[in-house]
Amino acid sequence: MAKSVAGIIFSSLNQNTLSRLTADRAVAAIPFACRYRLVDFCLSNLVNANISNIFLVANYNYRSLAEHIGSGKDWDLARRSGGINLISPYQSARDASAKLYKSHLEALRSMGDYINEMKEEYVVLMDADTVLNIDLRAVIASHEKTKADVTFVTKTPDKSYSSKNPRMMLSSVAGKITDMVLSSVYTERNPELSLGIFVMRTTMLRKIIEQANAYGLNSLTELFFDSYKRQNYRSYCYSGHVATVSSFLDYYKSSIQLTKNAEARDQLLGQRDASIFTRVHNSAPTIYRKGAKVSDSMIADDCVIEGTVINSVLSRGVIVRRGAVVKDSILFQGTYVGENASLNCVVTDKAVHISEGVTLSGNENMPFYIQKGRRV
Amino acid sequence: MYLKKECIAMLLAGGQGSRLYDLTKKTAKPAVSFGGKYRIIDFPLSNCINSGIDTVGVLTQYQPLALNEYIGNGEPWDLDRTRGGLSVLPPYQGQNGSDWYKGTANAIYQNIEFINQYNPSNVLILSGDHIYRMDYSLMLRQHIKTDAACTVATITVPIEEASRFGICNTRSDGSIYEFEEKPKEPKNNQASMGIYIFKTKTLIDYLRIDEADETSANDFGKNVIPNLLHNGEKLFAYQFDGYWRDVGTIASLWESNMDLIAENPPMNLSDKSFRIYSRNTARPPQFIGSDATVENSMISEGCRIYGKVENSILSGGVVVEAGAEVYDSVIMEDVKIMSGARVYTSIVDADATISGGCTVGKAGADKNDITVIAKGTVVNTNVPEKA
Repeated sequence: MAKSVAGIIFSSLNQNTLSRLTADRAVAAIPFACRYRLVDFCLSNLVNANISNIFLVANYNYRSLAEHIGSGKDWDLARRSGGINLISPYQSARDASAKLYKSHLEALRSMGDYINEMKEEYVVLMDADTVLNIDLRAVIASHEKTKADVTFVTKTPDKSYSSKNPRMMLSSVAGKITDMVLSSVYTERNPELSLGIFVMRTTMLRKIIEQANAYGLNSLTELFFDSYKRQNYRSYCYSGHVATVSSFLDYYKSSIQLTKNAEARDQLLGQRDASIFTRVHNSAPTIYRKGAKVSDSMIADDCVIEGTVINSVLSRGVIVRRGAVVKDSILFQGTYVGENASLNCVVTDKAVHISEGVTLSGNENMPFYIQKGRRV
Repeated sequence: MYLKKECIAMLLAGGQGSRLYDLTKKTAKPAVSFGGKYRIIDFPLSNCINSGIDTVGVLTQYQPLALNEYIGNGEPWDLDRTRGGLSVLPPYQGQNGSDWYKGTANAIYQNIEFINQYNPSNVLILSGDHIYRMDYSLMLRQHIKTDAACTVATITVPIEEASRFGICNTRSDGSIYEFEEKPKEPKNNQASMGIYIFKTKTLIDYLRIDEADETSANDFGKNVIPNLLHNGEKLFAYQFDGYWRDVGTIASLWESNMDLIAENPPMNLSDKSFRIYSRNTARPPQFIGSDATVENSMISEGCRIYGKVENSILSGGVVVEAGAEVYDSVIMEDVKIMSGARVYTSIVDADATISGGCTVGKAGADKNDITVIAKGTVVNTNVPEKA
């Protein structure tokens, strides 16, 4: 029989640092790479590892996330047994103080009995703001082999790495985690970035929650810091492409990077046996009209392109009229770019209308953002 | 026991499509790709669900493997229902032996039991080889209002082509007094689209009569409809005035694909009020590379284009390498066109590879001179050899 594994996805951590993109949506529902939302990567990684009992812990603004997930059938998660469970924020008569979660631990507490009732032997915890295409079966196999208490999936970032939020950075000796620190930059001492993917036995997860409650801790991070010296915590260092979306600038850079880096594109989206699944919209293919000039761009379905598009990421239903130039920009679903308009380093949210002849320009370290539904 | 249904559909999808030659060697015609991400059968199935018809029997016979896999349980068209939904109906063995479907009427005759299960008031007969978007509920409304025994959908065709069709000669109220199958001298240009709505009882009665007649070809157009008229049944024409194409030939399949990239396409696939649904294949977004040129073309998910594409329709996952060029062509799923290859005025079926330096098709050829590359072919020489 196959190993039984459950998945838990935290849909809305780091909501605050992505404020512009999360005004109307959960972190997990942020569009990424034209046709996906961040949650699609978590869900597909789990599904591709035959994990089909998945809990998606919602926070505020989860309407668009719920709509995206639907019954879960687009990920083959509409199941009689297991499938996807959207855990909405919950208040009961017993505990009216329940509030929106800010850490993994609070989110896990908000799941209440689900964790106690889990039948699966193992559980994988994932943050929605990390984009990668990883074979979780290999992570679980390594977890078993090393008899780890918890396996942390990590990535050694470039030395230039920096993040708006401090994240868990660690060092390991032959895979055994020996030091941990919260840092927003790369350091020689703790070069491995924790990607927010944790594998453990379900019994271990229950124990961790109990301990944290007993010590009055507020986050898993605190607990890991307290315990790593005593416990067998292991690092699984992933070598493939990873995008961590912890700020608007991160988001912008990692999106545009996909238009420039074929290897990253292939690792993330081009794996034959590990497709990334998303909600199916039944849109028509994209039409390129006479005079269209497109280069180094990722484009979703149902766009109409008459103008010039360079190093850009276009979601479904974007229209670029004649003479318009779109460069280094990310256009969300239904953006309209009028004739002779010019966009450089711009992010347009859903259904933005750029009128004829308008010129907008940001720069690569400060892209210009236009909020949902705006007319410019 | 099922709830009584107002109307169910029976979709004839068993045709061989022999005039599509290599494209239907291993695939039933309804499963042939169209318009980048679609298959021909997506059109009638989407029409059904968009018309409020939630029970569809799909009659398969010829090379059903790809077709069966494609339609599955009907989920992409919202036809996976607890009551009704999509059922695949291949020929089967009964107590009195088994039989292939001998003709369109015989195919339905062999599935009278299926129809009776749902006890519908009316049955809509469709074929799986036309590209069109049609709200059958309007036709059904007329059918009920006129109290017709059978309503035949018709479309205006150029009079010079009328002798290729079944022609309905009607009175001023739209009732049909004569039906001529491929007449030498057509009296008008109202052609049958091969779409019929019958009162269920009329249908079953006449299918039984037709089956008993050993001289019958068991065909709706040739036998059943003329027989209804002969017996004085009330037949009406329903005039459809939208886009409708029979894509039964290479020329018409190519031409109908090209219609999609016309300046003002006669059928707009991105109309959200009447979507055409298709099975999704979870491909990444399309990527257009540094030195690519893509003009006047329709490109689907998963394509990677580094070369030149003009006036063409590309299905999912097609790769056009740098230095490859594609003109006026229909390229189906996962075809690879390698650096230095040229493709002109062709239909290239799925999984084919056009090797570098090879030229396929003739530049500027007309619709009757389309080059076809069969599924999975690896092309290492020019096709045709002397262009």
